[in-house]
Amino acid sequence: MTRTDRVRIQAEDFSLADEVQLLQDSSKRIGAIVPFLGIARDFSGDAEVKSIEFEEYKGMALKALKALREAALEKFDIIDLTIVHRVTTVGAGDNIVLIIAASEHRKAAFEACEWTIDTLKETVPIWKKEITPDGESWVTEHP
Amino acid sequence: MIKVLFFGILSTKCKTKELELDITSAATVKDLIAILKERFSDMPDGPFIIAVNETQATLDTIINDNDEVAVMPPFSGG
Repeated sequence: MTRTDRVRIQAEDFSLADEVQLLQDSSKRIGAIVPFLGIARDFSGDAEVKSIEFEEYKGMALKALKALREAALEKFDIIDLTIVHRVTTVGAGDNIVLIIAASEHRKAAFEACEWTIDTLKETVPIWKKEITPDGESWVTEHP
Repeated sequence: MIKVLFFGILSTKCKTKELELDITSAATVKDLIAILKERFSDMPDGPFIIAVNETQATLDTIINDNDEVAVMPPFSGG
């Protein structure tokens, strides 16, 4: 897996600017780029969240992300789509997931971006555990 | 022999991430869940998502020797 792969699961952080630039440089047909950046909140309900630990079903998670990208490319009138998900322990304010949709016109990119993050939460075998001052708990919902 | 993998809250409740099991031939996912619930009293009632060899399965999916079965809680990535 290299940094230019459009679908990646990685521990290390990513750069929103670099990933947008990669897409922007890949085609002069692109007229709209819509990114979604998911970051770690410092609270959950009433509790303070110090960090979030991610777990994946290795192999199946990457396959599911690749299938998700293919489905989005099929479903929407977009030119390209990047999906990067971190699996590691992140602190509050850190990057978790990045989705970038590129299209000729903005509407398709907005729709593809929203659909992709919504569907990712339902179909990709990744889980998060919140670490709070009072202990840790697995997140069982995907709001 | 099959390999069973637990993820998320299920690995915490069952206190293991992985185990090997001998199952009878023609056992289904439903049969396997019954076996696991008997073995792990703290295992939640569900909902579970089951994958056999990294492909999502149903309760009726037949499990074969050497299969890898993942027992997963609802996903919470992103």
